[in-house]
Amino acid sequence: MDAPAISTEHLSRHFGSLVAVEDVNLRVAAGQFFGFLGPNGAGKSTTIKMLTGLLAPTSGRMEILGLDLVQNPVEVKRQIGVVPEGMALFGRLTGAEYLNFVGRMYGLGRETAAKRTAELLEFMQLADQPKALITDYSHGMQKKLALAAAVIHGPKILFLDEPFEGVDAIASGTLKSMLHGMIARGATIFLTSHVLEIVERLCSHVAIISRGRLVAQGSLEELRAGVQAQSAQAEPGATAPGEKLTLEEIFLRVVGGTRAAEQELSWLG
Amino acid sequence: MAGVSSAAAPPDAIGAREQFAAIGQLRWRIFVNSLRTLRGRLEAVSWVLMGLLFAGLGIGGTAGLATVSYFVTRRQHVGWIALPLWVLFLYWQLFPVMATAFTENFDLSNFLRFPIRYRSYFFIRMAYGALDPTTVIGTLWLAGIAVGIGAGEPGLFAWAALLAITFGALNILLARAIFAWIERWLARRKSREILGLVFFLFIIAFQFVGPVLGRYGNRARHAGAELTAVAGHLLQAERFTPPGLFGRALSAAAQGSYGAALGSWALECGYSAILFWVLDVRLRAQYRGENLSEGAARAAAAPKAKVKTKATVREGIALPGFSGPVAAVFEKDVRSFLRSGPMLFMLVMPIVITILFSLGPSAARQAGHHGGPNFGGFVFPVGVAYAVLLMSNLTYNSFGMVGGGIQFYFVAPVRFRQIFLAKNLTHGALLALETILVWGAVCLMGQPPPLGLTLATLSGLLFAAFLNFCVGDLLSLYSPRKVDVSAFGRQRSTGISALAATGVQVVVFGICAMTFIFARLAGRMWVAAPILLALAAAAFVGYRILLDHIDRIAISRREALITELCRAQ
Repeated sequence: MDAPAISTEHLSRHFGSLVAVEDVNLRVAAGQFFGFLGPNGAGKSTTIKMLTGLLAPTSGRMEILGLDLVQNPVEVKRQIGVVPEGMALFGRLTGAEYLNFVGRMYGLGRETAAKRTAELLEFMQLADQPKALITDYSHGMQKKLALAAAVIHGPKILFLDEPFEGVDAIASGTLKSMLHGMIARGATIFLTSHVLEIVERLCSHVAIISRGRLVAQGSLEELRAGVQAQSAQAEPGATAPGEKLTLEEIFLRVVGGTRAAEQELSWLG
Repeated sequence: MAGVSSAAAPPDAIGAREQFAAIGQLRWRIFVNSLRTLRGRLEAVSWVLMGLLFAGLGIGGTAGLATVSYFVTRRQHVGWIALPLWVLFLYWQLFPVMATAFTENFDLSNFLRFPIRYRSYFFIRMAYGALDPTTVIGTLWLAGIAVGIGAGEPGLFAWAALLAITFGALNILLARAIFAWIERWLARRKSREILGLVFFLFIIAFQFVGPVLGRYGNRARHAGAELTAVAGHLLQAERFTPPGLFGRALSAAAQGSYGAALGSWALECGYSAILFWVLDVRLRAQYRGENLSEGAARAAAAPKAKVKTKATVREGIALPGFSGPVAAVFEKDVRSFLRSGPMLFMLVMPIVITILFSLGPSAARQAGHHGGPNFGGFVFPVGVAYAVLLMSNLTYNSFGMVGGGIQFYFVAPVRFRQIFLAKNLTHGALLALETILVWGAVCLMGQPPPLGLTLATLSGLLFAAFLNFCVGDLLSLYSPRKVDVSAFGRQRSTGISALAATGVQVVVFGICAMTFIFARLAGRMWVAAPILLALAAAAFVGYRILLDHIDRIAISRREALITELCRAQ
């Protein structure tokens, strides 16, 4: 059996007395479009930061493509692409200069970096303003550029932290078509997003983290079946036979996101 | 909505006092929370040291100005009080703009998202400005002047106090207005760059005033009549400036011409009213929610129709002997440098200093011996030392301009050794370029510096560069600060880095100066070169050792670096 693309064992991260991530055991198979969900402050960003080398774990192991991230940071980073929170762009470069720079940082030759830069700019529809600095780009353009930079070296795994946040429908379509293309060619995508409809449409597998702990993991069908079985056990007849729960409903049931009426803010107009 | 039985309206009256208290508490909590980290505590120590410096400046200046004012009044030259007032006026208006590194600036327009009344907003801006070190020192100095006048001539104290209060208010209003308008211009890149250029040209021009007057003063004395006429016109105009009006009002009061005194005072009040209006216009625009984002400017400047062009991308540069990532970081940093007005200014300043020295009195005395001045021989090392000093702005906060881009360095498959090597290569290349430019300027203005001195200076430069790279690289990791070119007070490195950089320069320049003096006394200037080369070799060994450990240090500092450089403010 092939090594999973991403696997963690008892992964934990504490900030002083605050437990951000606790005992997370993730397993993402190669070629999966994987959605990593959780409420605000659940530990999504902390986990993705640890998996991409931006944050050290307090304890536990992480393996990317069978390589220990702590032992082989450079080798692992060569195989992955990342769009971190905040995008990590350099505002005083043009889009082409930035992509060229990133390509060379990932070890591409000068000619290859320049060729791929031109192709990516065309694909992302960023070639119209070759002289514009990144600082003058709109938010959507910056997002597209960050994604282009994350894939310029042809990564085997792509980590995306909220890639569709603040992106218009046109740019979002471009991003999605590119991500689907990568999956079709065998890459693995690990994505966090608060927009559950997007995750439901794109991802084949999902994990849900809540209060730092992994509370569900599997394919969408597995999660759906599990939640329905639990509901039927706890409250027979709550879910009609054949009813297909949406990811939002699954999410809310797993993390316990519903509130009792008496908890509502009665003074709110 | 279930459970919503009695929806309550927002509070009708929002107490300004509660809001001021909340803002005060916010500032206090920010300060207290900053002490949780070692860096915050060290920063507080540097603030205490700065505070002591300011206290000395305030108390010493107050005593000095009080004494001057006392003697001026006692000797019946009350009108001359305008002279110390000019010093005070220039300090009050220019120092805050020049020394943004030493003042913590908090973006008060952040409070506009709260239901704050315009009057309260205006008051907060004024109150906040009234508490900055410059205003406190300015007020103390002004009080010293008033007390000095009162001690010299007790009958004038009431007038002095009234005029001092008006003059103080005018200065506070003017300083706030300048800040508010500069903030407005800094908000957009284009206007920011134009403002930066104007500011730097002003500084350069200002530095030339003394040497030019010194050099051409003798010649100008012969054209006395013309100059006296110009000075007369200037003095006429000066009488209507705020310090001049203060002096006029006081002179008139001393002579018993109370109407004239009141007239001058009223004009001073009129100036204050105009400044109040100028500030009011700016703050009202802020209060109403002006859109100063780059996006708005971009939309306004966007072409009507886009012409789709095929992207042509130039290959990056290659650095022989260095890996691709090192060359990539070097190229990126050089491009960023060349696109930054303040950074380009750094390139120009050492040449300006060299020319300034060539216009100085010592150079003028020696002119003409060999067809041109030799500048006492030391202009070249002074110009190079100035270049090292300016470069420390970059070296001691290498990631300041990168901001959120720091995350890229941690996710990319590169070692920090390569990143620092590339950054130090950039800094080294700029220093080399500066040295060549300074050498060229010295040659053009006079004659080439002697070979022994040139070799000694280059050896000293190597020593200074490697020592600065060592300490600068460490502080870039241990005391980073996000540089925000669009905001006042967030354009420099931390107080700790500034102090450390000053300390290193004192040590380096001290050692170099002593070596130069020793070599000069020995009558062989070249002797300084091997001594400084030996020190440079020792610094280089230290630098190599640091580079070998820099990855481990960077990884250990990863979270603090990302937190600081990615923060919104």
